[in-house]
Amino acid sequence: MPLVSIQGLTVALPPGADRDKAVDDVSLDVGRNEIVCIVGESGSGKSLTAHAIMGLLPRGVTAAGGRILFDGVDLLKETPRALRKRRGRDIAMIFQDPMAALNPVVNIGRQVTEQIRAHRAISEAEALKQAGALLGEMGLKDVPSLLKAYPHQLSGGQRQRVMIAMALSLSPQLLIADEPTTALDVTTQAQILKLIKRIQAEREMSVLLITHDFGVVADMADKVAVMRHGRVLESGVVGEVLGNPSHAYTRALIAAVPRGESQLPPPPDVRPLVEVSGLTKRFRRGGLFSRGAVNTAVDNVSLTLSRGETLGIVGESGSGKSTLARCVIRLLDPDAGEILLDGADIAHMKPGELRPLRRRIQMVFQDPFSSLNPRQTVGDIITIGPRIYGEDPKDARARAVDILRLVGLNPETMNRLPHEFSGGQRQRIGLARALMLRPDVLIADEPVSALDVTVQAQVLQLLDDVRRQMNLAMLFITHDMRVAAQVCHRVMVMRHGKVVETGVTRDIFANPSSEYTRALVAAIPGRQTR
Amino acid sequence: MKLHYIAMRLVKTVLVAIAVVLLSFFMIRLAPGDVATVMAGQSGYADEAYMKSLRAEYGLDQPVPVQLWKYVSAVAHGDLGTSYVRSQPVLTIIMERLPNTLLLDAFALVVAAVGGIWLGGIAARRPGSAIDNATTVLAMFFYSVPQFWLGMMMMLVFAVWLGWLPPFGIETMGADYTGLARMGDVAVHILLPGTTLAFYFMASYARLTRTAMIEVADQDFVKTARAKGIPERQVARRHILRNALIPLITFAGLQASILVGGNVLVENVFSWPGVGTLAYEAVDSRDNPLLLGIFIVTAILVSLFNLVTDIAYSIADPRVELGK
Amino acid sequence: MTGFARRFLSRPTALLGFAVFAAIVVIALAAPFLFARGPFAIVGMPLLPPGSPGLPAGSDVLGRNMMIALAYGARVSLLVGISATLCSTLVGILLGALAGYYGGLVDDLLMRVTEFFQIIPAFVLLMVLVAFLQPSLTSAIIGIALITWPNVARVVRAEFLSLRSREFVEAARTLGMRDTRIILTQILPNALPPIVVVSSMMVGNAILAESALSFLGLGDPNLLSWGSMIGGARSAMWVAWWTTTLPGLSIMITVLALNFVGDGLNDALNPRRSR
Repeated sequence: MPLVSIQGLTVALPPGADRDKAVDDVSLDVGRNEIVCIVGESGSGKSLTAHAIMGLLPRGVTAAGGRILFDGVDLLKETPRALRKRRGRDIAMIFQDPMAALNPVVNIGRQVTEQIRAHRAISEAEALKQAGALLGEMGLKDVPSLLKAYPHQLSGGQRQRVMIAMALSLSPQLLIADEPTTALDVTTQAQILKLIKRIQAEREMSVLLITHDFGVVADMADKVAVMRHGRVLESGVVGEVLGNPSHAYTRALIAAVPRGESQLPPPPDVRPLVEVSGLTKRFRRGGLFSRGAVNTAVDNVSLTLSRGETLGIVGESGSGKSTLARCVIRLLDPDAGEILLDGADIAHMKPGELRPLRRRIQMVFQDPFSSLNPRQTVGDIITIGPRIYGEDPKDARARAVDILRLVGLNPETMNRLPHEFSGGQRQRIGLARALMLRPDVLIADEPVSALDVTVQAQVLQLLDDVRRQMNLAMLFITHDMRVAAQVCHRVMVMRHGKVVETGVTRDIFANPSSEYTRALVAAIPGRQTR
Repeated sequence: MKLHYIAMRLVKTVLVAIAVVLLSFFMIRLAPGDVATVMAGQSGYADEAYMKSLRAEYGLDQPVPVQLWKYVSAVAHGDLGTSYVRSQPVLTIIMERLPNTLLLDAFALVVAAVGGIWLGGIAARRPGSAIDNATTVLAMFFYSVPQFWLGMMMMLVFAVWLGWLPPFGIETMGADYTGLARMGDVAVHILLPGTTLAFYFMASYARLTRTAMIEVADQDFVKTARAKGIPERQVARRHILRNALIPLITFAGLQASILVGGNVLVENVFSWPGVGTLAYEAVDSRDNPLLLGIFIVTAILVSLFNLVTDIAYSIADPRVELGK
Repeated sequence: MTGFARRFLSRPTALLGFAVFAAIVVIALAAPFLFARGPFAIVGMPLLPPGSPGLPAGSDVLGRNMMIALAYGARVSLLVGISATLCSTLVGILLGALAGYYGGLVDDLLMRVTEFFQIIPAFVLLMVLVAFLQPSLTSAIIGIALITWPNVARVVRAEFLSLRSREFVEAARTLGMRDTRIILTQILPNALPPIVVVSSMMVGNAILAESALSFLGLGDPNLLSWGSMIGGARSAMWVAWWTTTLPGLSIMITVLALNFVGDGLNDALNPRRSR
């Protein structure tokens, strides 16, 4: 008998939602001592399925049918009290964002002991001892001071380790991990996954892992279930599903995951269009009455970029990659260094001098929901640029029709407002806005990180097509090595504001010259298994 | 690190005090005519020589920066000038009345905080329920009613019509109670002005507690707490309420400045012998030095109270570290 | 905008508030035409109860028609409430926008000033200001605007600060748009909803402040306002309840109506934020 057997589970959404069922007749088993992954894009119902097992569905959302058998007992029929006692003791759960998942005003020790003492009658001191031992087991250093620390004093990786320690404190039979690494940096992500795998093997427990990433599935899972629109499309042993997917959607999903191996040829050898040298940007914290610390976000960075070439800038959060991009496009004023555009230094130009040159460098932004003015129509959004430079509104509108077609949108969408579009469509609109100015340089700042895998693949393809057709020089900012490998000729790795190394994409992946790049490449999920 | 924060806050409090004094000086110069004309008008005769001697006495014949310096240093030494009407130092008059006001305010704040947090907590439990809606409507009502008028209506109902409570003053005139009997007498007298003053703030606390608790209840760490299998009561207390109360501390500080305004009106309605009634008397007799003195003293007291609440906040919230 | 109107009108309290406020505005505008003799004219015996012949709201301590006084009182309350709010909203938007958009020193200064106004006892400052400027309609408006503009400035600044770093504003900058145009066409339209809500509630607060000033005898001596009616009738409160109750109710109803409107606007403009 499997540990967990979900049979025909249906989860109903409150009236007035965009659909009535978030989970529709889902059946799924989690055996003892195995890792099962549920994989799917946003809105697939994977997360709600997990929450239903915990009895922690959001207000108004209810399990409308089916059974969830845990060790033979139907959890949906248990009293709230019995279910409460199971939570934390038999079934534990960890969440996507450990910062949000920890209480900010209670210290770490207390948060761990609280769980132990909710289920076992032991003293605080005894519980604290157990908590300390657990944290140590999770590979955390300096445990005594950690127990007294508050969540904001920890790093993201440490917080997720604390969450895992907490989850394991009563040796549950099942651990549910809901996108446990999505909010973490790439290298931390790999460590946390490794940790989960290790403790699963040591404790011979069952793990239900929710993820959107087939790379993670390949690394972690024994079995996998693919979900879409609230239904399980296919499930089975991981090797079979990945190697021989039976459903077209699964095939599409797997195909959409970037390979993590460069396919682009080395860059064309021409005179660079953009030459950045010695670029430095510092931020001062504090205001009128405090001196504040100085943070050097970009530290003496140099790069070159030619027409027709894509340069990837890769780094984890805090590496300064976004700040660098914002300096190059002069959304931020650099403190030192020069930015030559066709030989003219724009790094320290006054706003008046700079304005006529702005059209030559354009940008595609990360967040599809905040990058378009919610109160302007698509037509206004994309023609406002040319109109600033004095183009006749009629001509601009005529050109907008072509550009919208180019980015794969119906020109009739011009009179609509941004909220009527999906994330991927909005990124296309953002791209159209940039292209309307016929730029020479396009900066793409994490343009696909907020998108689902399949949409991601389409947008990446579009960016590459546009780059080729318009002979653009493209600066591509990303935290994802796989994405970089797919679209970049060259890659520059950044860390703590400094350049770690720069090179042709293939070389960087095949033989990285620095320890850090090696770690980044090794951290790519699904790399070992493929 | 907290010490650094507290030091920064102290500096800020001193700066506020300086700004208050500067503003007061500016205010004096704003008034039509100078102190001399006002005082001369006040005393009834206004010949040139007297005016001149007055100007010399108050240093008004000197250049503005000198006057400013003299004013600031006088205030710094606790010299807030002399009341026109009572011919007593302003500070002495204020200090005499201050304890009564502080008593009334402490009563009002405690009633408001306890009642408001309790009401807000109930409302947040079941958003949209009858109790929740009633709290919202009640809060709206107390926001919209003029405080002085509410006081008069309370007096009309509870003192005049029902005769339950004394309408005026801080104690029964001529009764000369001592000890416990006196405390009891004051307690009966404080009920009407105290609750009148408390109502507005109770409404604010209820609304704020409700919003904060609903917001906190939606956060991930509350889900974590439930996933840990902690009893619901403990989830509500340690995780929801604990986090929701933190913004209320700052709020209490900010409310203090509004409280002083309420003092002026409510004390006046109930003839409570505090600083608020004194402010009204100053206005009524055009005693500008006294009025200005009240402004300076209350402003400094309020900013000190803010200092205390800010320090309390920094202790309650571990995230406050370097001076922010 | 149709969605906005529908959401606003679907709230009974908002609709009621709007209707009541509109009625009060009509009464205030019509008062000089309906009662040409003005509020100060003595029409009969003092302290006649409501319902006496020709005196639906009774007469006051001096034998003046309370109904006329109430109608004229609305003029003062609305004039002060609306003008003070207009002044402080304009100043608040201007300074808040500059501070929020440009940050830096301007912002630091503005924040210190608004903090200062938050800490000092605003009503006492208002009393001092009006007393020193001499009580009048203008000094009440100036005084109330002076103590309330920081509230608007804070809201506007916060909105601008958060909108400034939105990507669509960054996009506008990379397109080469000028700052003034960015502020006016990109940020301000998106920042308007909270400003509208704050302003609508501020009118009510300004009316309360004016009534308190008049109650304390710091109102314009040449005008009859609700606050001064209550203040003038304090001695009669024990024998003639209507002399204080009716003007107080008028203030309350007006302010309540405005708060209902503000609440309705808040929910209609932020459909996601409600509940």
